Amino acid sequence: MNKLTTTFGVAALGVWGAAAAQAADDVTLQLKWVTQSQFAGYYVAQDKGFYDEEDLNVTIKPGGPDIAPAQVIAGGGADVVLDWMPSAMASREKGLPLVNIAQPYKSSGMMLTCRKDAGVETPADFAGKTLGVWFGGNEYPFLSWMNKLGLATDGSDGGVTVLKQGFNVDPILQGQAACVSTMTYNEYWQIIDAGLTPEELVVFKYEDQGVATLEDGMYVLEENLNDPEFVDRMVRFVRASMKGWKWAEENPEDAAMIVLDNDATGAQTEEHQIRMMSEVAKLTAGSNGTLDPADYERTIESLLSGGSDPVITAHPGDAAWTHAITDKALN
Amino acid sequence: MGWLLAGLTTWIGGWLLNVWLARQPATRMVQIAVPIIFGLTLIIVWECVVRGFGISKVLLPAPSLIAQTFVASLGLLWRDFVQTVVKGALSGYIMGCGSAFLMAIAVDRFEFLKRGLLPVGNFAAALPIIGMAPIMVMWFGFGWESKAAVVVMMVFFPMLVNTVQGLDDTDAMQRDLMRTYAAGYWKTLLKLRLPAAMPFIFNGLKIGTTLALIGAIIAEFFGSPTLGMGFRISISVGQLAIDLVWAEIVVAALAGSAFYGGVAMLEKAVTFWHPSQRGR
Repeated sequence: MNKLTTTFGVAALGVWGAAAAQAADDVTLQLKWVTQSQFAGYYVAQDKGFYDEEDLNVTIKPGGPDIAPAQVIAGGGADVVLDWMPSAMASREKGLPLVNIAQPYKSSGMMLTCRKDAGVETPADFAGKTLGVWFGGNEYPFLSWMNKLGLATDGSDGGVTVLKQGFNVDPILQGQAACVSTMTYNEYWQIIDAGLTPEELVVFKYEDQGVATLEDGMYVLEENLNDPEFVDRMVRFVRASMKGWKWAEENPEDAAMIVLDNDATGAQTEEHQIRMMSEVAKLTAGSNGTLDPADYERTIESLLSGGSDPVITAHPGDAAWTHAITDKALN
Repeated sequence: MGWLLAGLTTWIGGWLLNVWLARQPATRMVQIAVPIIFGLTLIIVWECVVRGFGISKVLLPAPSLIAQTFVASLGLLWRDFVQTVVKGALSGYIMGCGSAFLMAIAVDRFEFLKRGLLPVGNFAAALPIIGMAPIMVMWFGFGWESKAAVVVMMVFFPMLVNTVQGLDDTDAMQRDLMRTYAAGYWKTLLKLRLPAAMPFIFNGLKIGTTLALIGAIIAEFFGSPTLGMGFRISISVGQLAIDLVWAEIVVAALAGSAFYGGVAMLEKAVTFWHPSQRGR
């Protein structure tokens, strides 16, 4: 009897699987930035068929300097977006209820990279210097750091002069800024490639300065989480994506090549992507995809501690994140 | 539903009112009223549609919200306006149009310049702004100077071509007449050829107004201090402060219209004798 049930069960599953394979569920993912190893996990999951195994048909949309993920999801252009928590929480306060469902990045890759010959040795030397900052939602960690240091960013005396840095490192190469924003896995190496040596540079990791904020989490709209069908899709999506991430961590070179295959612009180089992948692996290493509430609280605290100009004015509470997806996906 | 109905009613009402006005004698009042009614109808319909469909304010804010933001951030908008329009666009406009004007006179005087320089001007005009702007930032720094440089490159060519064309606008008979009056090159230039070129020169100036504003705003996307309309527009999108983006757009539209209108009025005063200005 038992055997019979199993047989029937397997047969039924087979039929269900076959039917479902024809109608795989669509998921659209909006990346925070252009196709590069920063998002290797998703491309690996796509390439290695992890999404297919979960019966998902995933579309990965690359971002860029003119794309704000929060706006894409608000306009219905994506089911799930990758965003930095500061910008996601600021969007949430602006009336777009984003919820963190998974956090593949454990550590922040953001740094401020300075030239020694510009006279910067410690954060105490920032006063009076010109610093390059990325805007468009990426300025929040910087602003909260400056607030913590008590440095004004509005150009008044004793503060710092802020430049809206383009998404390149020209200002530090040209000597127009003492420091520029860099990511451990990307722009830092552009500076090195441009001819400056690590000995000529001072690097301040946000992680070490106690102002690290969570980067590249997966965010969805709160209202969608009431829909069991959507939750089910996200559970499968997160499971497959994390599988992709762990594969990418273990096989950085192969992962970088998969990313390159998916780069429609052809702008990325092999050496750069492999190096990026090995740096990214250090940031994702500590996470299985589950958001650590302590990290969340630390991020929020740093966003709230803005003095006269905080990034967010009120604690978003526990509604801004959920373990509902990761609990089902990863256990 | 009520909002949508109100929007529909306003639309039909505004339409009928304008149709009725258009059939009236074309007095000055009617000429002014028609576009105002059209604009107001558009704004009210926009407000009703946003409220009626419950469109999220991070996608399309209602005009009332934009107006609120506009009033609440007047100080900010003013500082951005000074940075972008006065320092960036206007100084670039004056430098670009002024140098193009002088260059046009030189080009017109010396044939070899016409053959050598015009193609270079043409080449500069064909350069895309998104390619030039980062280079200008590299050369002239993050301040308004690099924005003015972009504006110079944008307005230079239309001004040059129009002025050169305008200086050609006198015929042989007129120039012969000047010669019989014993007028030399400079006298002919001042008394005959420049006045004749005025409609063309103003054409170049008017084209330059909108280009200058566009150039100054776009150039700020590629590196700027934490000030300026282009800076504000580009960062506010990332912060989902779309109402502030629209407030900046309102400022840009007002500034652009005023700038163009001012030059057009100047044209009217200077070229009152020209057939195109008579009877207006």
